[in-house]
Amino acid sequence: MKTVLKMGASAAFCLGALAHPACAEDNIVKIGVVAAESGSFVSAGHTLPAGVGLAVKQINDAGGIKVGGKTYKLEMVKRDDRTDIATAIAATQELVRDVKVQAIFGSETHDFTLAMAKITQPAKVIHFAGNSTLAKILTPDSVKPGGEDHYLFQSEPQEFQRSGSTARGVLTLLEPLLGYKPKKSVMIVGNDATGQFLSSYYFKALKAEGQDVPDIIFYPPDTTDFSPFLTRAKSLNPDIIHFWYNGDSTLTALPQALELGAAKSYFLFGVDPGIWKEKALTADVPVAMSCVPVCWGESSNPKAKAYFDAYFAAGAPHGVTSSVSLLYHDYVHFLAEAWEKAGSFDPDKTVEALLSIHHQGVVSDDLTFNPTHQVTHATEVCAAAPGGDISCSMQQPPAEAPKS
Amino acid sequence: MSEGSTPQGKHPTHSVAPALRSLVPVLVVLTLIALVPLLSPSNRFLSLAISAGINVIALYGLSVLFGQTGILSMGHAALVGVGAYTAAILARDFGVGFWLALPVAALTSAVFAMIVGIPSLRVGGHHFVIMTFAFGQLLAIVLTNGGDYTGAATGLDMVGPVNLFGADMGDLTRYYLMVVAFVAVAAVASWAIINSSYGRTLRAIRENEKLAASLGINVGRHKIGAFVVSGVFAGISGVLLANFLGHISPTQFASFPSIYLALMVMIGGARLITGPLAGGILVAFLPEVLNLDPVQSRIVYGVCLIAVILLLPDGLIAGIAAFVRKVFTAKSKERQRQENGVVSNPSEARR
Repeated sequence: MKTVLKMGASAAFCLGALAHPACAEDNIVKIGVVAAESGSFVSAGHTLPAGVGLAVKQINDAGGIKVGGKTYKLEMVKRDDRTDIATAIAATQELVRDVKVQAIFGSETHDFTLAMAKITQPAKVIHFAGNSTLAKILTPDSVKPGGEDHYLFQSEPQEFQRSGSTARGVLTLLEPLLGYKPKKSVMIVGNDATGQFLSSYYFKALKAEGQDVPDIIFYPPDTTDFSPFLTRAKSLNPDIIHFWYNGDSTLTALPQALELGAAKSYFLFGVDPGIWKEKALTADVPVAMSCVPVCWGESSNPKAKAYFDAYFAAGAPHGVTSSVSLLYHDYVHFLAEAWEKAGSFDPDKTVEALLSIHHQGVVSDDLTFNPTHQVTHATEVCAAAPGGDISCSMQQPPAEAPKS
Repeated sequence: MSEGSTPQGKHPTHSVAPALRSLVPVLVVLTLIALVPLLSPSNRFLSLAISAGINVIALYGLSVLFGQTGILSMGHAALVGVGAYTAAILARDFGVGFWLALPVAALTSAVFAMIVGIPSLRVGGHHFVIMTFAFGQLLAIVLTNGGDYTGAATGLDMVGPVNLFGADMGDLTRYYLMVVAFVAVAAVASWAIINSSYGRTLRAIRENEKLAASLGINVGRHKIGAFVVSGVFAGISGVLLANFLGHISPTQFASFPSIYLALMVMIGGARLITGPLAGGILVAFLPEVLNLDPVQSRIVYGVCLIAVILLLPDGLIAGIAAFVRKVFTAKSKERQRQENGVVSNPSEARR
């Protein structure tokens, strides 16, 4: 009788244990994503969960991660910030304090990320964001152990690197198409946090390449009629007009620029050749494009095709900024490798591992974080000839920032 | 009909007791709201509730301006921004903490309101709305191009914790309770203004500016005064917002947030003391409860606004109150009619 009772009790315990969610969740590691899946930033926003989700699926399909002798599966917990800072903060509070994620990815909006970091960093949650503007806060003091941003990582190259690669690539690809060496450039830039930050570096990068840049013309965000800005640019008789950020506005501005004949050639920042082809865009002058960081429509990166085939097969839409997903996808794999190397999910040991790993990603075979938690990799630039042929090349970043 | 006024256009009562009755529902609701942490809500809820509460404080100021004086500001978020940036700059440059920043930021926002108010209020109606909207846009441009001083488009970080009697208010529940307390103070302050002679003066201006002027009321000075008062509320709201988010940037105080504030006060009802509270909570939680994306939210808000303007010009709460009153009056009349009918029915009496 006693044996029967013992067996019954054991069975009840096991059934109860199976029913308890904690038992099922013991081997699951949660990764949070905060992104604009709706609202004005949706174009870049949807790439973030798409990139992280693909990486999570790839890792789980390969058997998960082995940490401290135990195998874990990853789970992505995503929250839509609705391009609203109050919702982004609420989502971060929920992911950090209620869901208790081990790491968080996002957001793609600079000031949201900074506010989110005020929650993730005191909670010691590893935080990846693809905002090059983070350079303003990632200093040797802030990232040191005990520093206020010790667990924050920038998964986009420093802006002098990205601007340097891009400027060199644009000039190199446009020169043969123009038939002469371009000398004068005008920049047309969106006047918001990202635009202001990026343009200052790109201006220096163009100057470092020997360009005469007589003006940076700022347009208010959400501009649809670019004619006043283009007329001003045309009066300066530039060889190249550089539409520096963002891709959606650039596609609105380009047809107006072509109609006005504002320049002898153009550069569209963050517009993928895939969009150029899908929209059947044409121009009677050479047009350069750059991708952040690798193009999906046409690429010189050997790993890009396989990545984007899997990315679009998973249901992600073809977008101007689809390639931005790579600022997140590679770092889920990178983080998984760091956890395996650290043999623990301890945030301090994870940071140590992240700083010591040379990760083989899609973007680069040698992804590393520098001492201020910023990554370095090449940027792809392409150019469409007036006939429609597109050529691309990966441009390595300069070793040092140009002296102003 | 607003608090402090009586039916049939009679002179407003000066008795405190009837006026106090209008404050009781708000205080009861706020007490219940303060008890919410006992139910162990999610941190997402608390975070959204804090954001909503911070908006409600600004809305109480806007209700004095719009509800009592009849002036609609479409640049009110900019005054919140002045408060937020004042707190951030004071903390960064002078190490000024939260509690000292509060009065300074409130004063700064009030001064900005006066600066904008003096030229703006020379024009009336729609022109004023456009001028306040322009002020909001202008402030965003100034902040965006303010270089290192304003942090340019990147914005500013808030430095330093918020402490109250030695307790760190960085904890979400504590900050929530603090914001609820500030909302209660804002509601009481707004109620006190509404039920003061100053409030009655403002309502006189709202109802008939020329008549008010003919009675010796300095209309211009009082309108600017109302704008300044609303600036004080906005400044306090800004300090709370900056400390809650930990980072502020110009886009948070541009045209869209101002439109949302105006929307909240119109939907909730600007003339009732419960209106700002209802509007703030409704607009903050509606997308969350109905899982609406921003486009759907804007459509719903737009429809709500049209419905409120056409059907409930005093706002949702006033509309609900009127509906309830109507139902009760109808029922009581019906009961009275039936009772009278029983007594006066001769056949019944004969039985």
